[in-house]
Amino acid sequence: MEYVIKPLAKKAVMWHLITTAIVILLMMVFGVMMLLNQGELISISPELFYKIMTAHGIGMIGIASLGGLAIMWYFLSKYLPLNPKVLVANFIMFLLGVVSVLIGIFGFNFSDGWTFLYPLPSQSAQFGGPAGALFFLSGILLLGVGFLVIYGYVAYHLTRVYGGLHKSLGWDYILGKKTGYGPPPAAVASTMVVICNSTAILAGAVVIIASILNILNPAIVIDPLLAKHLTYAFGHIFANCTIYMAVIAVYEGLSKATNRPWKSNKVFFIAWNFSTIFTLMIYTHHLLMDFAVPKWMLIVGQVFSYANGLPVMVVTAYGALLIVYRSGIKWKFWSLLFFLSMFGWLSGAIPAIIDATIVVNHIMHNTKWVPGHFHMYMGMGVITMIFGFMSYFNHQEGKVKENSWDLFSIVLYFTFFLGLCGSFLYAGRISVPRRWAEHLPEWVFSDQIGAFCGVLIICASLIFTIRFFMGIKSAGSQENSDLTKIA
Amino acid sequence: MVKKFPIGWGTLEILEVTVGGDKMYQQIAWTVTLFLVFLIALAFSFVYGESKRLNEYGPIQKKGYKIRKYYFIGILAVMAIISAVTLTRLPYHHEAAAEDYKSVDVEGIQFAWNMSEDKFVVGEPIEFRVTSTDVTHGFGLYDENLQLIAQTQAMPGYTNSVYHTFDKPGKYQILCMEYCSVGHHIMVKEIIVTDSERGNE
Repeated sequence: MEYVIKPLAKKAVMWHLITTAIVILLMMVFGVMMLLNQGELISISPELFYKIMTAHGIGMIGIASLGGLAIMWYFLSKYLPLNPKVLVANFIMFLLGVVSVLIGIFGFNFSDGWTFLYPLPSQSAQFGGPAGALFFLSGILLLGVGFLVIYGYVAYHLTRVYGGLHKSLGWDYILGKKTGYGPPPAAVASTMVVICNSTAILAGAVVIIASILNILNPAIVIDPLLAKHLTYAFGHIFANCTIYMAVIAVYEGLSKATNRPWKSNKVFFIAWNFSTIFTLMIYTHHLLMDFAVPKWMLIVGQVFSYANGLPVMVVTAYGALLIVYRSGIKWKFWSLLFFLSMFGWLSGAIPAIIDATIVVNHIMHNTKWVPGHFHMYMGMGVITMIFGFMSYFNHQEGKVKENSWDLFSIVLYFTFFLGLCGSFLYAGRISVPRRWAEHLPEWVFSDQIGAFCGVLIICASLIFTIRFFMGIKSAGSQENSDLTKIA
Repeated sequence: MVKKFPIGWGTLEILEVTVGGDKMYQQIAWTVTLFLVFLIALAFSFVYGESKRLNEYGPIQKKGYKIRKYYFIGILAVMAIISAVTLTRLPYHHEAAAEDYKSVDVEGIQFAWNMSEDKFVVGEPIEFRVTSTDVTHGFGLYDENLQLIAQTQAMPGYTNSVYHTFDKPGKYQILCMEYCSVGHHIMVKEIIVTDSERGNE
């Protein structure tokens, strides 16, 4: 059974996308400002640099989650009777959380990074006052609660429709009780995200609440290494799940564009079950330089980080290549972005896997190699999927005409995103530490190249965004929505 | 230099790549990444080039799934071999732990490094015992070419040991590798390595 998307849901998705488009541009500007400063092309104080760095990190992760959620909700609405008021409630919580985070950073000088490591917030609070950390941490907590509520709600409907989360993850097909095609990829991916991100948010909530208590009463302490585990269990999983939400658009979009089915079979289910387990397990690769962590846990971090590359390499990206190959596709802006986003995801997995190798991590951990790999899968993967979905949404719900700017902007975006990531990875190759406000003369050239690429990425993103806003004016007025037609 | 590693069913001999005495994992990581990303780009370009032709999907799927089996086994084999080789050289327990290491206490504090010693001699095995008195820092040991040669985290309440034997005299630096607040980038300490006890750099 398929459902019709409700007008309120369309509006809510639209507002999610509008917010996402604006914040992505703003966060890109922050990113370029940091590179310009490191490249000695502008001069900002270290205090401001680290505030911008904190805002850029939490802003990009938060907005990728919001955009990913919009994608997940839009397509999942075909298969589950979702009440859009829940999405609206989450949106309001998100905005309140963002306001609190911004007050913390720019009002009260919180600059401890989005993956702040306990007890840094309370240490900073001793010098700069507790308000910044309290606003920031409370804001993150609000965001987390909003997402947790929505995941609980989605889990409830997945369970009602499919008989349990194990069933929407295809266990009946893996165990051979059923054959053929199972729940749609949108439901499978959503199940994985619900399980992983709920776990991540609970881990994050523990360390945030512990940090708040520690600020209010320094006598209340937790073990710093335990706190680090919780911080990365939250940060790693939450960041990873942005792509697992956004990829739903690729499944649905490329299937539609090629007029070929992209359905869940046994191999597909096995891949997503392994993705679920591995994504939960491999945050320990962030702790490879914490020699106090049990060795077996760190070896797990390496081995399963490698293994976590397999589902995307062998199933998802391979599936994208297969569905497009000799399909007679008529490329559109959104379908090309969906296709290229799989290139971004797959490419980003390579330096990530290499860095998860303990002996390599020993001389590359916390160098700019790290932002090199996550900018690849975030910028050329997740954000590309979101930009693609913005155009797809306009095609379905509004009016949009393809023009020559589309191809130009895609070429511009991908050429210079490769350049940006290349500059980061090269900086990692020459051992430039990440998160330094000021750079030594030997490092400056790679920053300048990165800044130049960043400016052109912003130009391309601006074209994407303008095209999106031009098309969205008539969103909801069209009768061409697939989801409307289903009725 | 050839190193031998037991890998369960035999011994694997690895030619250790050295340039100026430093292991070149950075160069390997960079080259492998460029090569594999290029291969991925080639695969996507090929499929894009073929995308406008129209063939029936059934046979494409059938052939694709067949190729995928070998592709999967190939990747798995490469991952297994790399794991077997690299997991024998972990920095956590030095392979020659019985050696007589000179112990050096290192303490990170916003925004400086306190060290029980900051002058060393070439060839002398050193155990840096790294901790912190306030927040988490990152102990990054850089050589004269600003290349990172070893690191560990400096955490309050924990002591992490990192082992190193300097093979060249010169001025080395300790840089903070973990963001520790607004003075993170000034948390640098110079250490001197001489080629004899008399102090010739």
